[in-house]
Amino acid sequence: MKLEIVNMYPDILNLYGDIGNLICIKKRCEWRGIEVDVKDFTIDKELDFQNFDMVLIGGGSDNGQNIISNHILDQRNSLETFIEDEKVLLAICGSHQMFGNYYVNPYNEKIPCLEIFDIETKSRKDRLTGNILISNNLKSNSIFDSVSTHDFNDIIGFENHGGRTYHSYDTLGDVQVGHGNNGEDGKEGMLYKNFIGSYLHGPILSKNPHLADIMIFNALKNKYDIDDIKKSILEINYIDDSIEINAHNNMKQKILKL
Amino acid sequence: MTNTIIFNIAILAGKLAYFILQITGRQGTALPGKVAIKICPDILGDLTKRCNKIVVITGTNGKTTTNNLINHIIGGKYENLVSNLKGANMIQGVVTSFVVNTKSSYDWGIFEVDEGSIPDVTHFISPDHVALTNFFRDQLDRYGEVENTIKMVYDALKTVDSTIILNGDDPSTVQFNKLSNNKIYYGFNKNQFSKSNHDVAEAIFCKNCGNRLNYEFISYGNIGCYYCENCGSKRPNLNYVAQSIYINDNNYEFDLKINMGNDDKNSLNNDETIEKGFVFKYMGIYNIYNCLAAISLCLSENFDIQFVKNQIENFDYKLGRMETINFPDKNVVLVLSKNPVGLSEVFHAFSYDEEPKSLMFLINDTHADGKDISWIWDADFEQITDIKNIKSFYCSGTRANEAALRLKYAGFDIAKIKIHVSKDEGDFNYPINEMLSENVKSYVIGTFTATPEARKILLSEKAKSEI
Repeated sequence: MKLEIVNMYPDILNLYGDIGNLICIKKRCEWRGIEVDVKDFTIDKELDFQNFDMVLIGGGSDNGQNIISNHILDQRNSLETFIEDEKVLLAICGSHQMFGNYYVNPYNEKIPCLEIFDIETKSRKDRLTGNILISNNLKSNSIFDSVSTHDFNDIIGFENHGGRTYHSYDTLGDVQVGHGNNGEDGKEGMLYKNFIGSYLHGPILSKNPHLADIMIFNALKNKYDIDDIKKSILEINYIDDSIEINAHNNMKQKILKL
Repeated sequence: MTNTIIFNIAILAGKLAYFILQITGRQGTALPGKVAIKICPDILGDLTKRCNKIVVITGTNGKTTTNNLINHIIGGKYENLVSNLKGANMIQGVVTSFVVNTKSSYDWGIFEVDEGSIPDVTHFISPDHVALTNFFRDQLDRYGEVENTIKMVYDALKTVDSTIILNGDDPSTVQFNKLSNNKIYYGFNKNQFSKSNHDVAEAIFCKNCGNRLNYEFISYGNIGCYYCENCGSKRPNLNYVAQSIYINDNNYEFDLKINMGNDDKNSLNNDETIEKGFVFKYMGIYNIYNCLAAISLCLSENFDIQFVKNQIENFDYKLGRMETINFPDKNVVLVLSKNPVGLSEVFHAFSYDEEPKSLMFLINDTHADGKDISWIWDADFEQITDIKNIKSFYCSGTRANEAALRLKYAGFDIAKIKIHVSKDEGDFNYPINEMLSENVKSYVIGTFTATPEARKILLSEKAKSEI
């Protein structure tokens, strides 16, 4: 089995270790015997998304976002098709904002966005920063659950954003400790089909292997028969997640103590 | 001059704070200055008038090393120096260095200053020289973004008439070329350590036209001989150039080319001289850039080149910057590392050592370290599989689990990982003792608060071992 992944703007949108999300997906596939092929997509290296199973995009500085903003607008239709086809897409922080209607920067300038979702983001100079704990709304029907050593019902990360994001889609989770989308409504992130948007760095998948596994399973399910997935993966390879579990639980205790 | 009485009270209060810290066994590198500033807010301006010459060193990585090198060179000729050698580099730390060592005049004041404190410092003083090391992403939850940091330093330097000593190979400082100040550039010629691709994959775009920059070669990170294919902008002509760099018996050796003219770098001309055989005995190619910053400063201040060369060669590291601590049966090398480029280069330097060894990574997440530790995912841990003969890898610090997690995902054998989660930023006794019980060389890498704590424990264990 094989997953083909697009690493979008890795040389520009790469703040706060978001490249770790790709490393996590890649390793968790390899440990299960799933082949992974990663292609970089950037301003002078374009690809056709329809040939791929997953897209990962990280956050960037204001400067980085300026550089990609016009370029990503040209990808609007192909990204929308990718999402509507239930392909897996993870967009963190600034790149999540880009999928909305507009982004108002701290100087009150309106930056055009992809207009794929009705999301609005207004940025302020005071940043929402810190460790964050949210519940997990991402429903899993992943067959990996049956052999998984982790049983998390929450998500941990680190947020650092000036943007306040507002929308009425399903959210990734309810904020238990931290700020979330806008610091007001107690919600974090966004879910639509297999699109996940979030402000969480960390990187988000490193201490939340359950999210990585759902993404991998959903990408496989688009492509392969469930029984085949079971046969070829489940019976062969099992991942010992004890380091992940300790990292998650330690951090959770630390956040709840604050 | 401020009211002399208030000034004197401020100094006395600072000294008192220092005295109390000393007798209670704590480090007094920032608090005495903080107390003095509280009483006399513009005290720094008055204090620095006592210095005949002032040097300020700033940038992301290499400040403390460059500061120590400059002190070592200048200190070989002049007696009365004042400096914040211990790395307390906010304005309080600079003031502390005067409070604990009050003289009526100094030959040189040599200070490393945190990038974020540069505007505070230039508000009070106009240094003779400002040396810039480099700008990388570092502890971003404190300053926002590296572009903001660069702009903050740039705006501050516009207000002073200092000579600026610039790393010509760092494309993020290209806008400093516009400053009307006198400027001196240092950098590398292509050498056997030059690479053709980025090892920390971060694109740099031309500040003039926005096009992606290309490189004739890269030294490390984004540092190298850059040029823009679109608008033709390129790295400035260098005045002090390291070339023919090689490793001989664990020392770096290099030649220094000096060109004070403005001609194109490749054309030989009468202004150009070459001094061969500089030696620096510590690992890490980034250290040669630190040497160049110190050399550029001292040679432009007319120090004798043979004297500078000797001082570079006999320089000894202190305070946890690649410091070697000798035990009866093994050596421990202690390294500070706090951002992706620095950590990647530290691992790269280890790959030249093929002896059996243990490694230790101490990662804390206090405010001074940065509460966000996601930067370890931007560092090139994957090259750990290129380092030969690692017997064990100890992970400790308040975020020990996540160091182990990073290693696991870098493909390191988890059976060799030993994790000890610290209860506080100095809780390393257990893992350090376990590491010392192994009869192999050890490398200890620590974040900002972890390194001095580890150093304390190592020195006390060393004292015990010698009894």
